[in-house]
Amino acid sequence: MPIDQPILAIQHLEKKYGTTNVLKDINEVVAEGQVICVIGPSGAGKSTFLRCLNLLEQPTSGEILYKGENITRFDRTQLSQYREKVGMVFQNFNLFPNMTVAQNLMLAPQRVKKESEGDARKSALLLLDRVGLRKMADRYPEQLSGGQKQRVAIARALAMNPEVLLFDEPTSALDPEMVGEVLQVMQELAEDGMTMVVVTHEMGFAKKAADRVWFMADGYVQENGTPQQVFDQPTSERAQNFINKIIND
Amino acid sequence: MKNTGNLFYRVVIIFILTMSFGSLSTAKADVPEMSSSLSAVKARGELVVATSPDYPPYEFLVNKNGHSTVQGVDIMVAKKVAKNIGVKLVVKKMNFDSLLVALQTGKCDMVIGGVNPTPERRKNVLFTKMYYHGGQYILVKKSMSWLYHDKNSFKNKTIGAQTGTTQYDLAKKQIKGVKVRGMTSYSDLVLALKTNKVNGVVMEKPAALAYAKNDGSLRAINAEFKLDKGTTGVAIAVKKGNVSLAQAANKGIDQIQKQDLVNKDYLKKAGQYLKVNTEDTSMWHYWRFFATGIEYTLIISIVSAILGLMLGLLLALMRLSKNRLWRGIAISYIEFLRGTPMMVQVMFVYFGIGVLINIPALLAGIIAVSLNSGAYVAEIIRGGINSVDSGQTEAAESLGLSMSDSYRFVILPQAMRNIWPALGNEFITLLKDSSIVSIIGVTDLIYESNLVRSDTYRGVMPIFIAMLLYFAMTFILTRILNHYERKMQYAN
Repeated sequence: MPIDQPILAIQHLEKKYGTTNVLKDINEVVAEGQVICVIGPSGAGKSTFLRCLNLLEQPTSGEILYKGENITRFDRTQLSQYREKVGMVFQNFNLFPNMTVAQNLMLAPQRVKKESEGDARKSALLLLDRVGLRKMADRYPEQLSGGQKQRVAIARALAMNPEVLLFDEPTSALDPEMVGEVLQVMQELAEDGMTMVVVTHEMGFAKKAADRVWFMADGYVQENGTPQQVFDQPTSERAQNFINKIIND
Repeated sequence: MKNTGNLFYRVVIIFILTMSFGSLSTAKADVPEMSSSLSAVKARGELVVATSPDYPPYEFLVNKNGHSTVQGVDIMVAKKVAKNIGVKLVVKKMNFDSLLVALQTGKCDMVIGGVNPTPERRKNVLFTKMYYHGGQYILVKKSMSWLYHDKNSFKNKTIGAQTGTTQYDLAKKQIKGVKVRGMTSYSDLVLALKTNKVNGVVMEKPAALAYAKNDGSLRAINAEFKLDKGTTGVAIAVKKGNVSLAQAANKGIDQIQKQDLVNKDYLKKAGQYLKVNTEDTSMWHYWRFFATGIEYTLIISIVSAILGLMLGLLLALMRLSKNRLWRGIAISYIEFLRGTPMMVQVMFVYFGIGVLINIPALLAGIIAVSLNSGAYVAEIIRGGINSVDSGQTEAAESLGLSMSDSYRFVILPQAMRNIWPALGNEFITLLKDSSIVSIIGVTDLIYESNLVRSDTYRGVMPIFIAMLLYFAMTFILTRILNHYERKMQYAN
């Protein structure tokens, strides 16, 4: 895929908690339509990195350019507009338990985009159809299984019609038998051309769906290549060890 | 975490806060500051007299055909004075303790209530001539009356007297080795006598005789105190320096003295009124008193619960804000309000702020109870907001929702559900604690049941009825709270 202007460009990104340096000088780009899988040992800073991308964490230094604009300098309104464009799916779903499934999907379109209730509901039902949960529209999150919750969370992020979706270990909190249904939805999104940055431990998904795999460790992106490159011929020792371990497990 | 703001800063903030609430209330209250000079009274066309109607035969409530009015010797004296001035008499009811304060803070023109003009009181208010010299009697149980002849029989015994009265001082000074038990109401004192907690109760002669007449188990004996004629009669009090009104009252008192109206006329009439009350002392006969009590208790509780909830929410948000000033104000407010008794707050709002603006007792009560409840509710709500998973805020933020929207639709509804039981507790406490407003004369359930006690000479039954009524109210409230708790469950 040719890269004209990257949708996201990360330059010298650094994040410190007190004296602990979690992210040290990250420089990467994400092109429109690309699916990036971020892998690496725990404690590598993968989640922190992802959370910096929509400023749930404020970077200590460095720049994140969205279509050429530095988001770390955004004011409140600009940030809110940016977050409409960049959706996020969390490890623990974070559905709103006080609302029905449909209401979860309708809240942001109604409040942020000022859609009418009828329009919001119509598109919510279409999205639920897409993730195979239309019949759950009027249930509460409590009544769903983990896999269903995560599919609803994906649909909720899609309801804002985002250009980029960030996934923070979307299957880590799921029972094994439910991982597949979530990955299936993500796979379909990837095929539809959605730009995605996915922090994951699902190597199978990374191999199948990713355009690029970033291997992170010790606060750096140590390898950046196609799935074949990273999984079959990792260059750094860190990556070799990590991948051997995972394959042998 | 400990607050680092210094004390001065806090005091200033609390002062500003109190003042601003005060000025808010003026807008609603619309009660002008009262001037009590004779010309002001004449211009107004009415004379506002404060009294504590629990002291028959001087003043008491008469319950006739379900309608209650203040009657008694003092009221007849006040009527005479008002008639002489040529204005209408308006009687304002409050606790005896609060009478003189009410006068000083301009809540009434005159106080009449069997008040003895002692030197201490003369320092603070101006007294008219005395309109009656009753003398002091001691009320004892008839079954024990062979033991007691006069004050000297009470050596090393316990005697009861109303707090802050001449009777209290007399007993203390003139009976050797006596233990004086002070209480605020005569109903309580007589009950203490009947249950052997005190051996006798000192009171004015007419009051003692009235009690003995209405309750066969009691007897009144002459105390034989050495009395100074200058201080042991009863007089009307006006605000210090209000000579014009005092002189006007003295004209009326002169006529009363000349014709000996108190002995010849007023006491007899008062006795007849008293008979109306004691003809039927069943609690059912007094249902209107209890109904009024419930009405006011509910008004105060409901309005204060709503205002307290709004104030509490505001304070909780201020406390959680990143702005240090807001946080400091909220913390100071909460700590100060929780660290002082509600009774003091009620009196401060009514009398303290009342010096600047004249607020009616009911409004003062509502303000004080709301301000107090707000402090507790704030902490409950803060706990509730903190109990909501931070992932909820993040999810709302990541969807581009504004801060206020994420609070309104995501955080607060969940916080409310978590804190509902604690909030329910606070509402129930508030309903019961609202009884404190009775000290400034708000006619809540406690106040009304005390009136029934002094009217009927029945000490316990009205308390019991009040207890049942409070229980009924909290029981219903609990059912309502439970109903909403069930409704707030997300799934059935």
